[in-house]
Amino acid sequence: MLATKLRSNFTKTEESNNHADNRLLAALSHKDFRLLLPDIELVALPLNKILYRCGDIIRYVYFPVDSVVSLLSEVEEDRSTLEVGVVGNEGMTGIAVFLGVKKSRNQMIVQGAGTALRMKAADLRKHVNGGGRLQFLLQLYTHALMTQISQSAACNRYHLVEARLARWLLATRDRLDSNEFRQTQEFLSNMLGVRREMVNKAAGTLQKQGLITYTRGVLTILDNAGLEAASCDCYRSIKEEYDNFLN
Amino acid sequence: MLNAVNSRDARANRLLEKLPQEDYTRLSPSFEFVNLALGEILYHSGDEMAYLYFPTTAIVFLLYTTESGATAEMGMAGRCGVLGIALFMGGKTTPNQAIVQIAGGAFRIKAKIIQDEFERGGAMQHVLLRYTQSLITHISQTAVCNRLHTFEQRLCRWLLYSHDCLQTDEIILTQEIISHLLGVRREGVTVAAGRLQDAGVISYVRGHIRILDRQKLENCACECYAVVKDEYERLLTL
Repeated sequence: MLATKLRSNFTKTEESNNHADNRLLAALSHKDFRLLLPDIELVALPLNKILYRCGDIIRYVYFPVDSVVSLLSEVEEDRSTLEVGVVGNEGMTGIAVFLGVKKSRNQMIVQGAGTALRMKAADLRKHVNGGGRLQFLLQLYTHALMTQISQSAACNRYHLVEARLARWLLATRDRLDSNEFRQTQEFLSNMLGVRREMVNKAAGTLQKQGLITYTRGVLTILDNAGLEAASCDCYRSIKEEYDNFLN
Repeated sequence: MLNAVNSRDARANRLLEKLPQEDYTRLSPSFEFVNLALGEILYHSGDEMAYLYFPTTAIVFLLYTTESGATAEMGMAGRCGVLGIALFMGGKTTPNQAIVQIAGGAFRIKAKIIQDEFERGGAMQHVLLRYTQSLITHISQTAVCNRLHTFEQRLCRWLLYSHDCLQTDEIILTQEIISHLLGVRREGVTVAAGRLQDAGVISYVRGHIRILDRQKLENCACECYAVVKDEYERLLTL
């Protein structure tokens, strides 16, 4: 039903450039986008849904519209996880499919509920075969994603948990377009790759500085400028990379 | 007994080895052999890249530089890999610095030629895309490793990777290079290398590391080595 609604929306807005709210797809021409249309459907992604785990065959790729998906590395020795990247409306989950690989090496989990356009992995392969604009856009996106993952590697090496938490909160705010969101300590601990007590302590520090409040699983950003000052420079570098890679 | 890699054989690079003869023959006139010197920088972050490099005996380290100037390890590429994938990913500049950690040979090819070859959509494109996926895994795993593992474990991982590339038990690595690339103080390098030496894993004399016991070295490394290697082998054998 959502898919039907989606298609009628596309018809209605065909004259505008805003034919898809995923920016990667929006960078396609109308003609190219129309070729994809029979193979995409709009789906709702609930909070904390795991799209795939490490080792799973990737059945679908997702182009987030207003949802946000975290890319996590799983640590084999203790089954813990660490966020190495985020996919929002600038990108696509399951880049491995584009790179010719069937299985995921990462876990993908929804960190911001919302909608996404999804396509079967086989259909994506069909559409990128033979080159064209979609292939080129996915190449650019792969490059931007790798830059983001590299930045995470550096950030994890050098920056304190408070700075990383501040960065994570700002990035989430930007993608969800909201100063308030619900997150459990456990989830944050999985993102930041530190124990829950460390998350608690870092959140406490930011709270004492009047930058956020964190009560009953609801995070509220009180002071955006202050939080930016508390964050590491990784926040701004990644944001710039993502804002610019489609230009 | 390991067979040392011939630096002047382009097919010693495992990605080039994967190419069908026909594709290789077409491209081989465009390859140029170069000797890469220790510490040579192939490109700085933000540089436009003129060449793609396929190492044979050289090993190149990828460093990420943060805005404040701190550097961190991201990955490495020896004869299992290629340098400059941003070239065929449509980004003209690279976010990383590529610095030679082990001097040796490589074959380079001009950016324009590799871009045209990539556009053909043949075997080279397939190999390069799959290598990109394995590099994404490598960098993601480095993010985990940088967060969770000790310097000694990281050093072991690094030596194992170098050992796989070089196929010789002796690796020339000064404390300065290790300290610069892995982002630790020289005393830290001395302590970690000393411990591995005491445990009979390596010997370390005047910048020459000799791997004495490969199995023990694997036991001392973190899981990251196996994760990255398994993924690479899986992706490149299919």
